[in-house]
Amino acid sequence: MKTRKMTKTMLTGIALAGALAATAMTASAADLKIGVLVADVSGEEAQGFRSYYENYIAENYDVEFVYTDALEDAAGEKAAIEKFASQGCQAIISLSSSDRATQIDTCDEYGVYYAIASGVLDDELFETYKGYEYFAGQVGPGNATEFEAGKAMGEYFKAQGVTSVAMYGAFIPNPMHVFRAAGVIAGLGDTYGGTNDMYEMIGQIFADQKIDPAKVEGDVALTAYLQGYGDTTTDEINAAIQKEPEAFLSVGMATTFFTQMLNEAGIPFADIDSFTQANGTAIKEGQLVYLAGKYSSSIGPVFALIKNAVDGNPIRDEEGNAPSFSQGYLVATDGESFDEYYVADNGDAPIYDKETLDSIIGADVTYEDFKALVESK
Amino acid sequence: MSTAKKVTGTLAIPLLTALVLECICVMNGNHVITNLKSFNNFVVYTAIVMITTMALSINLNSGRFDFSLGSIAALSAVTGAKISYAMLHGASGSAPVMLLITVLAGALLGLVSGLIYVALRLPPIITSLGVTLIFEGVLYTFTGGKYVMAEVQNASMSGFVGTWVNAAILIVVILLAMILIFDHTTFGYNYNALKNGQKVAVNTGIREVPNAVLCYVICGALMGVVGFLNAARNTNINGGQLNFGSISIMFTAFLPMFIGTYISRFSSDKLGFLLAAVCMSLLNSTFAVFSNAITASVQSIINAVLLVVFLIYLNNEQLLVGTFMNRGQKVKA
Repeated sequence: MKTRKMTKTMLTGIALAGALAATAMTASAADLKIGVLVADVSGEEAQGFRSYYENYIAENYDVEFVYTDALEDAAGEKAAIEKFASQGCQAIISLSSSDRATQIDTCDEYGVYYAIASGVLDDELFETYKGYEYFAGQVGPGNATEFEAGKAMGEYFKAQGVTSVAMYGAFIPNPMHVFRAAGVIAGLGDTYGGTNDMYEMIGQIFADQKIDPAKVEGDVALTAYLQGYGDTTTDEINAAIQKEPEAFLSVGMATTFFTQMLNEAGIPFADIDSFTQANGTAIKEGQLVYLAGKYSSSIGPVFALIKNAVDGNPIRDEEGNAPSFSQGYLVATDGESFDEYYVADNGDAPIYDKETLDSIIGADVTYEDFKALVESK
Repeated sequence: MSTAKKVTGTLAIPLLTALVLECICVMNGNHVITNLKSFNNFVVYTAIVMITTMALSINLNSGRFDFSLGSIAALSAVTGAKISYAMLHGASGSAPVMLLITVLAGALLGLVSGLIYVALRLPPIITSLGVTLIFEGVLYTFTGGKYVMAEVQNASMSGFVGTWVNAAILIVVILLAMILIFDHTTFGYNYNALKNGQKVAVNTGIREVPNAVLCYVICGALMGVVGFLNAARNTNINGGQLNFGSISIMFTAFLPMFIGTYISRFSSDKLGFLLAAVCMSLLNSTFAVFSNAITASVQSIINAVLLVVFLIYLNNEQLLVGTFMNRGQKVKA
């Protein structure tokens, strides 16, 4: 009887020790643990961002990044933040934009810092949330910058003399894509619903939840339009190619999904994406002729915002609110201009390397330091 | 039945479909097939629909509802893509190598599915739901939920579907193989006997279990071909199809299966599936012509309405024929 009791006690002890050991092993060894919300897990841009954080930032700072799977909706984003909070993440970086208001509210509820690394809040939403304690800020192209990026693309093809285009609206009504799409139409010299004013165009696109080809008027004809990605996308892109447009203009993700098809069809195409190896191949050997892009380490300043906040020096603007820094796009129209940016931002020596980031991380860093650096890159 | 009636009955639906759709296009200043690119798409899509329909019908005709077809197509395609890419790194010859591996992987997955069915002896609809979840889970684990892209984006793959010839060869080879296997072999005779009267067939000594397993293997191999064609056509494979995300592929085959079964009254069911696939592909090509006006969601509604209308017709065929004949006799009188 005594032996059985001892055995039982020993087994209980071993089980408890095992559980404690397992807990200790799963706990983060790093000082800082950041959860990253991602909507796109497959695209080269997303993988470039991830590689920069995991292979460069995590190597150079005492930080661990944990990622979500591909988030499809607001409920998934909220659940992911709750899970990260329960896993001990001190901060969230968002690359997913289904419902950023709920993201900020959830982070505020759980007391974890939050920053936006892709796109920015629209003006009204930013006004609402800029004073939140746990909103550390946003770094990315502002909506006006997105519009200008699309407009520059449209103007480029207009100058090339194209008279018909097909267009990919990516994930409209995502605001970033709405602004870019409106910019493309304006850049082509066309109107949408009878106007080329940015705010009037985007108002209509938000209402339509897509680009309605019947509402595009002007010298350059919109022969086909598609958006989103799903079961019918291949049929839609094939339909667009069959209409033989002179160019295919995309406001995002076309290089991820359609490069092979457009190369095969011999249709010159443009995209707003990032400087990745595959896009380099597409611009040098394929039909990609215009790329407005970000580089992988462009999300470095967002990490700096988070690290400062967690370390007790949250960066705030002159009015004590969360900062919003605008980043522009770099444009490549051939292999040479592509290499200029791509080579400068390689894995071991990114544009936002440790030395550069260290200049905006620390107890003495100010809003002005941040602004000066981000706007210089 | 006279030969003339057989020919007329066999070709009536596809010819009528082509005529109606071409008229709609011409009225809008277009054609169903506008150029070589659209013809390539037409033939490739015909191949995909025909093969999927055949795979669906093999088990469904025997009372075995199989939800796992889509997951087999996706998982076998990913397997084929990964292995062929590891061997050739996307170089010349990648497409035929991937096709071969994908078909073998599909057959193996079909074998697994069939063995689970015969081992568990549960209703096939239950078993296939479980198998679908397992295969989708393996697919997700295998790919990390990401799209498989680099492995299928190469000149060999795009070249394979860049011309109608390869798809046409696949159509002919698979059609002949299916006719040979199901109409001219002992396995096929047994399959047809089991399909038409399971109890009687089993009592005459036909072994149902090996026949059912072989059906699953053939379905798996066919879905391997579909997985390959979809990968080449889409230039990616969705590795994140969880929670029955893969079963939609099966629903694309319902309407052609019913149309094909109807046509089979006048000829072979396999030929019926081909002609039904041609009808669906004509419809798909027409949607492409009107892509700016008819959105993807509207296309889905049109497909669903056509399915419902055709099922209503099939279920009330005698009633409709009787009504029209009576009206004709009244007019004559």
